[in-house]
Amino acid sequence: MTEAVQNVAQPQIEVESLNLWYGEKQALKNISMQIPKNSVTALIGPSGCGKSTFIRCLNRMNDLIKNCRIEGKVLVDGRDIYGKGVDVVDLRKQVGMVFQKPNPFPMSIYDNIAYGPRIHGASKKDIDGTVEHALRSAALWNETSDRLRSPALSLSGGQQQRLCIARTMAVKPEIILFDEPCSALDPISTSRIEELIMDLKKDYTIVIVTHNMQQAARISDYTGFFLMGELIEFGQTRHIFENPLEKSTEDYITGRFG
Amino acid sequence: MVRERYLIQLDLLKESVHSLGELAELILNDSMDAVINLDVELAAKTLALEPRADELEEGIEVSIFDLLALQQPLASDLRLVVSGLKISADLRRIVGLSINIAKIPGKIEGGHVKPLIDTRKMADITADMLTNSLKAFETRDPELARATAARDEEVDRLFYSVWVELLEMMAKDSSIISKATHLLFLIRYLERIADHCCNICESVVYLTTAERVKLN
Repeated sequence: MTEAVQNVAQPQIEVESLNLWYGEKQALKNISMQIPKNSVTALIGPSGCGKSTFIRCLNRMNDLIKNCRIEGKVLVDGRDIYGKGVDVVDLRKQVGMVFQKPNPFPMSIYDNIAYGPRIHGASKKDIDGTVEHALRSAALWNETSDRLRSPALSLSGGQQQRLCIARTMAVKPEIILFDEPCSALDPISTSRIEELIMDLKKDYTIVIVTHNMQQAARISDYTGFFLMGELIEFGQTRHIFENPLEKSTEDYITGRFG
Repeated sequence: MVRERYLIQLDLLKESVHSLGELAELILNDSMDAVINLDVELAAKTLALEPRADELEEGIEVSIFDLLALQQPLASDLRLVVSGLKISADLRRIVGLSINIAKIPGKIEGGHVKPLIDTRKMADITADMLTNSLKAFETRDPELARATAARDEEVDRLFYSVWVELLEMMAKDSSIISKATHLLFLIRYLERIADHCCNICESVVYLTTAERVKLN
């Protein structure tokens, strides 16, 4: 593993010897990683390498999967999220997630964003402010401010994805996980989301799974390469793409995997 | 194997750099023979090779822009493409300087002002440096690159001693100034060629280790 990220000054997420099984099949093998605060960390690797499984461990989305068994530790701000007494709903408020396909609720733009704050008991007045702030942060305010009551599903795919990002931000998380957020979007929408992600790292810690290596190279500060359930290499993005230490990383990013 | 076409393009790039390198070696060696023997015929033949170098350099540039725009090379492939571009520019300058050397025989009448012993030595070391820097590129050998660049000191020492010798000769006998000045230019061109070989060696170290070094 690259020296530079072995001992991060301010890790927000610390993963220690994480193992995960789906039934008999081991999907993650002894993963350790320190993810720095206010940075973008990209996870790359071929399909089935465990990167999505890994990211889903960071807000316990795998809890929903039957026969899934996890060993090891995931510390968020120093607290073990698999420890006793952890409220998973609170955890997912702190660690938000944006998925591959935009998945707005079948309700208005406004209500999509207000949904989370309402559940957490926010007042009507607060919610108005939150909706505007979230839409502005997601660079969607100018396109939607005059039609907040329109159905969210009337937005374009790229707008829907930004709405989902706004919805995630409305509950004020510290960390946002992105699971291939641009794979269903055209290049223009993709570049808007990429710009947005780079802006968001001022306020959030971001982890993104992507199949698009150029995207990882463009937007991330750190990159982890997964292969067959193992974290092969983790380091500064420029090192990974200019001079990876491991041959399999090199083979993957240069397209030499047969 | 995936990305087969891409890998073929990378191989072709290496081959083109190799061809430009071989041409540069030929032009340097022939222009030195032409100038030492004041062989105007060989000089003319050598001068006629310059357009071929332009063609090769242009072909390398085009293939590199295509690779960057269409294939987005990364890691050692990216380093190959970047060093290929830099090495081909250095080789093209070596050809240019060698062509300047090949123009000297046409300007000197009736023999040199002195036997060109140290100048020949300088040219031999420079030609060796060129051969070995190209070999280091082909075999991806950073140690050979470093050892080759280290020989630049010998070239510089010879340059300085011939330079001083020529200045002293000119101070004593002003009738030789014209002929001696051509020799001053000659050793200057050789010294610059050796510097470009050092640049090639730096590119080889970057290609193989991703380290940016100054070997000159």
